[in-house]
This record gives sequence, C-alpha cells and structure tokens, in this order.
Amino acid sequence: MIGRTAVIAFAFAVSVGGVATPRASWCGVSPSGSLSIEATLQPDHVAPGEQATLTVQIRSAGLNLPDVGVPPLQNVTVQRAGTAQNFSMVQGRVERTSTTVYRLIPRTEGIVTIPPLRVSVGRDHAETAPLTLTVSRASASRGTAPRPLRGGANAPAGTPEVFVKATVDRSRVYWNQQIVLSLRLYSRVDIIGDVDWKAPSMTGFWTEGLGPPRQRRVTLNGVEYGMMEIPTALFPTRTGTLTIGPAQMRFRVARVIQPPDPWSMLAIPEVVPQDMALTSDPITITVDPLPARPPPGFQGAVGDFTLALHVDGPTARAGEPILARATIRGTGNVSTIRDPEIRAAGAARQYVAGSATRIDRSGDRLIGERETDVAFVADDPGVVVILPVRFAWFDPEGRRYRSQSSDSAKVQVLPGNLTESKAGRPSPGAPMPAAPRRAQGPSGRLTLDPPIGSTALVGFSVLAYAAAVATARARRRLHRDPRFVRMQSLDTLIARDLARANSLVAQKKPARAAVLAENALHAGAGYRFDVDVAGLPRVEMFGKLRAHGAQERQIAALESLLEALEGIAYAPPETRSADARQAIRAVSAEIGRYRRDLAR
Amino acid sequence: MTGSGRLLLAIAVLAVAVPVVAAGWAGAKVPVAGQVPTDARADAAALYNAGTDALSRGDTGRAVAFLLAAQRIDPRARDIRANLAIAQARAEDVQGTTERERVTPSPGIVLSPEEAWWIAALIALAGALVGGLAALRRAGRGLFVFGTAALAVGVLLWGSLLLRAREERRHPEAVVVVPVLEVGPAPDEQPRSPYLLGGGEEVRLGRTRGDLVEIRVSGNAIGWARRSGLWRVADAARYTPTESR
Repeated sequence: MIGRTAVIAFAFAVSVGGVATPRASWCGVSPSGSLSIEATLQPDHVAPGEQATLTVQIRSAGLNLPDVGVPPLQNVTVQRAGTAQNFSMVQGRVERTSTTVYRLIPRTEGIVTIPPLRVSVGRDHAETAPLTLTVSRASASRGTAPRPLRGGANAPAGTPEVFVKATVDRSRVYWNQQIVLSLRLYSRVDIIGDVDWKAPSMTGFWTEGLGPPRQRRVTLNGVEYGMMEIPTALFPTRTGTLTIGPAQMRFRVARVIQPPDPWSMLAIPEVVPQDMALTSDPITITVDPLPARPPPGFQGAVGDFTLALHVDGPTARAGEPILARATIRGTGNVSTIRDPEIRAAGAARQYVAGSATRIDRSGDRLIGERETDVAFVADDPGVVVILPVRFAWFDPEGRRYRSQSSDSAKVQVLPGNLTESKAGRPSPGAPMPAAPRRAQGPSGRLTLDPPIGSTALVGFSVLAYAAAVATARARRRLHRDPRFVRMQSLDTLIARDLARANSLVAQKKPARAAVLAENALHAGAGYRFDVDVAGLPRVEMFGKLRAHGAQERQIAALESLLEALEGIAYAPPETRSADARQAIRAVSAEIGRYRRDLAR
Repeated sequence: MTGSGRLLLAIAVLAVAVPVVAAGWAGAKVPVAGQVPTDARADAAALYNAGTDALSRGDTGRAVAFLLAAQRIDPRARDIRANLAIAQARAEDVQGTTERERVTPSPGIVLSPEEAWWIAALIALAGALVGGLAALRRAGRGLFVFGTAALAVGVLLWGSLLLRAREERRHPEAVVVVPVLEVGPAPDEQPRSPYLLGGGEEVRLGRTRGDLVEIRVSGNAIGWARRSGLWRVADAARYTPTESR
C-alpha cells in the first residue's frame, strides 16, 4: 500500500473562463428564420463577488436590429461591458449582427435566474430560455483537483507538498502595457474535490482572462509536481506603484497516515482529509507613463499592432454602400482600442456600419483584432477615394511610438441601374411594372385637408337640420296650448262657417244662412269663454257665460246678434237677404273680436 | 332651459363650430418661400410616370414616394396600385424585412381623400334634408330617425377625416429616398445605436431641428435623421419633371 496516492493520475480543470469553463447557452430563432438571439452564460457557477459573463448575440436579416437589455437581477450587479455591431450586404441582402457583453457579479449565494431575453422585429419574435447562474462558494472556481505524482512520497524532507505562487512576466511596465499574471498551484499530494480560489485584488488594472486553467508537470529542486496555472492578462490603467493583492486557494488534501506496525498484515494506511488554504504573496508593479510627444492620431494603444484596410471591390453602383473595413490586429489591449478614422473623398454620405472585436485567449499573451466598418454612398457616378487610414500606437519593447498608414483605395462608381444593380434587380417571375401613361389626369390635391366646399356643406347641413328640428318642436308646443287651439277654432268658424253662410245668402237662402251664423256665434262664444254652450237655451247659455267671465256688455251684444239672426231665420227669404248679409258681417266682427281678446 | 332647448343649442354650436374648427384644426396654410402650396392640384399621371421611371432606374425610395402620392389622387387606378406594390416589395426585399404584410385594397371601395370629404358632406346633407323635412312635415318617426342617423354618420365620417388630416398636418407621411438613412439620437441626447432605414421605408415626421427631423414609426419617435434623405408624400409633386422645370 505504500505510495497509494501515487497511483492516482494527476488531472484537474478549474473553471475560470475559457472554452473549458462550464457554461449555459440558449439560441432562439424566429419562425421565419430571419431573427435570432443567442445568450451564453460563462461560467454558470461562480462565487459571490466573482464575475460571470453573459454574451447576447442578435442576428437580424434586414436593417432593423433590435436591442435587448438584461433586466435588473436581485443581488446581482449587471454591467454592460460593450457592444459590437456588424453589417453585411451580400447580393443585395442586408444582415446585421450585434454582440453585447454583460458582466454579472452576484453579491450573495443562491440561484440567479436570468429571464428569457426577447427581441422582436415587426411580427418576428425570438427569445432565449431562462439561464441559471449558481452562486456558491463551494461551486465557484472549481475544477478537478490536481492529483499527486508518482513518487511524490519520496520527496526529500523539507520539501513542501502543496504551495501557491503568483508571478508576473515583468515588474516594470508602461501604462497600458500587457503583463501576464500567473497563479500557480503546485501539488504532490492527492487533492480531494475541487479547488476554490479567490482572485487577488487588482485595483488599477484592466484584466482579461487568458483562457482556462492550464496544467502540466514541472520539476522544482528535483521534485516533480503537478501544477495548475491560471494566467491573466493585466493592463495598468494608472501610473506609479500598483499592487496585485494576494490570491487565496482553498482545497482539501488526502493525508495518508501509515500504521504504527508496518509489518502487520492487517495494517492498512489510513486516509484522513485535511482542509487547506494557501495564499500567494502580493506583487508590486511599477508603471511608467508613456513618453512625451505622441504622434498625431495616437489614442492610447500600447502593444504591437498592424493595420489593414479592405474595400469591398473596385466598382460600385451609385446609391449602393461601399464598405471599407479597417482591421487592427496584434498583441495588447484590443478591447480598448479606439476605432481609426476612415474617410473618403467623393462620397455623398457615410455611416458607421459596425465594429467587432475578436480576442484570442489561448496563447500566453492576449492578442486579438478590432474591425471597424464604414459604409460610403455616392449618389452620382464617379470615383470615390478611400483616404489612407492612419493608426498610431506605443511599442513598449522598442520604447517608442509607431504609426502605420494604409494605402488609399479608389472605387469606381457606376451609374445606378435597376437592371444591373443587385439591390433593385427583379427576381425571375416577379411582376413587371405597368407602362407609363400617355394622357394626363386625373388631377387632385395631395393634402388631406378638407375642401372648403365640403366644410360649408357640412356646416349648412347641421344648421338646416337644427333649424328644422327647432321649428317642428316649436310648432308642436304651440299646438299643445288650449288658448291657441281656441283661436284656431275661431279662425275656422270665420273662414269656413261664416263663408258658407255668406254663400247661402248669395243663393237666396237667408234663413239657413242665419241658422248657420247663429250656430257659429254660439260656438264662438263658447270658444271665447272656454265653456261648452252648444244646444243650451239662451238664458242658460248667458248664465254659463257670465260664470266664465263674460261681461254684461258682451252678453248684451251677443243677445242682440242672436235675436237679429233669429228674426232673419223666421222671415221669408225674398225680403231679408240684405239683413242677413249685414247680420253675418256683424257675427264675423264679433267672432273676430273674440279672437283678438284671446290673442291679447 | 329645457332638454330640447339644450339639444338645439348644442346642435347650433356644433354647426357653427365645425367649419371654424375644421379650418383651424387642420392647420392654417402658411406659405413658405420656395414651397409649392400643398393644396395645389397635382396630376396623377405625372406622378405615376415619375414613379414608374424611378422604379425602372432602381430608385426604390423615390418610386414609392411618387406612387404613394399618385395613389392619393387616383386610388383606384390599377397601374398605380400595381407599380406601388412592386416598389414596396422591392424595398422590403432589399431591406430583408417581412414585418409588414401589405394588403392591396379593393379598388371598388377605395376613395381619394377629396372624394371621401365630399361623400361625407353629401351624406350629412342628405341626412339633414330627410331628417329636417320629416320633422317639419310630421312624417313618420322612422324617416326622422333615418335622416338623423344619416346626418350623424356623415358628420362622424367627416370628423374622422378631420382627425386624419390633423395627423397628416402634425406628422406628415414621408418616404426614405436614400438607400440607407441613419436614424440616431439628437446631438444633445444620450448616444445609442442608430436605426437604419432603407429606401422606400414609409415613416412619419415630427419636430425639426436644423437639418434634422424627428422620425416616427407606429406612433413612436425613434430618433432623428437628415431631412434631405426624406420626401413628404404631400410634396412629391414638387419633384416631378414638370414641376422641376
């Protein structure tokens, strides 16, 4: 059983970024396939205070590129690290892509659920599934623990079994110059489970992880160790003396305790787990400022870079975008490089079509490239000259500024033509436009304002309707008035009955005319004083009239008329026509007087 | 005042107010130097020919603008509708968007704005005559109700047209006439990713600020763009060859 621990292989993988890091991702595509969103969470297990990266990539066919934000998460600090956009136009088809990186820093242990991220363009929708971030001290920064090497138990006395060391590749650098920090865990004993590590404080540095932890075998002072290395690229953002704090690693080792009697057949070594926590030493870095008098166009890039300019092609159509892409590639902090200015002569318009950053973390140093796309549009045929693009940076190895200018590029702009251009070319089988018209007309107005005539017509209609309704209502109200009804009845007596009586007189029928006039006078008196006296004897009639306000003078006049009519009624018709005509006139005057009294 | 009195007063006030509000609400026509009055009559054939010419040149944005203007005057013309549909389809094809589903309106019921105004006014007039005469002649109640309903329909239709005219005055319909129009924040606003509108895209315009104009889509302002990249549909006649000369 001697050397039992040595038979276990040495392998571990610690999850600190990189392709081997545990991650969660989801890609949602719209039903039409023209819109998609992909969210990737890496790693999906972190400790409180550690950082997980959420990368959201949206792809949209067309010019509309929706934006999406991460909603506030409880006990998690969400920082938007940056967005890169890309624009492509191939065969007249436009596709845009945006990649947004968020930093999620949980504050407490627990399960953090990132809700579905949803984007929509018109009726196209795409969304991700919920992503889960596990925050726990035990699960964070974990990896398979390194296993001890064969022969580890035979190491000389005084040699440490496990130790941690933090090193940097240089201790004196320029501002924004890359430093590689290596945290190394050396072990020649069996480590049970995962290794938790707490990153050192790196105030004053921009940090970029250099992929997953790496492992290899090393020999130190004749002793072979299994080594786990976590490399990180640092870029100082301040000058002066900066300190990288101590890093802490916590893990559990298996101690093998030999039995007291090694010759006993029953003696089996006992394995006892032991928790260990190791801390690296802090490191001091001296940061020098950049030399004075930087060249024109220098915007803070430090490292080793090259510049390349690429233009779509030597020709383009008027109205179509000409895409110019400047690519800066090299070693350094590519994420913070500012885009170079791309200008052109002869273009009517220009717009930034997108930018993208690609970083390679697989090497010993951080390298990458930054692409900037600018589209130029010329409205008229001619030549568009993409002017030389200039990029300046500081080379810390050569300790001097460098700059590079690209060549200019000429693009011949041809006339825009639907039949030849890609964008406007009708597809086979597409409907052909109708032919132009030869005759003029019809003519009309393009404004949506109302014609004056229609406004007047509507106003007149409403007014006329209102007037008609008002008149009808007034008329109905009048007809409901009893006084008015009595006046109308008196009018009818004069217009109808007395006219008929006059007609009878003309026909030499004075007696019948007198009777008709007498009846009309009866009725008229009744209408005047609002009492029904039809058919009543004269005395009774007068009594009723007095009771309803008739004055003696009026009764006397009425009696006189009635007597005169009665006399005519009983007389021979040949002799009384003139009297009848006179009596009917008197009755008409009396009834007219009644009407005037009522109208008063 | 009785209930009927109040009703009559309301109708009278409405009758007086409608023309006044119509004149003021739709916007006073202030002449601008160098601008063709928008209520000037335009020729649909000239607009159609200009749009068809732009379509044959591959200038989708201008084609859509011209043909939209022609359709305002002659909405039932088959050739205008056909070429407009082709121009809009090409614009969407270039943009790669499928967000809009265009429905070609039936030519039997489509009216130009001017026709719609007159039809609304005639419906109102017919309703007023029938309803008014029915009230005066003491005709059947059904006839009075029918006339009143017709008047109400005419006035409501007229009011809806008035709202549309007001919206056009405040946020005129416009078309992107450059291949790509960048819609971004105003200079004093927080920077954000720009929207890109393609040629032939139909938008509405809002406030102006120097060379910039506010772009509105579906009732919402999405940013600011250069005015030179847009044509108002109501101004399309200015750009026809006959007007240019």
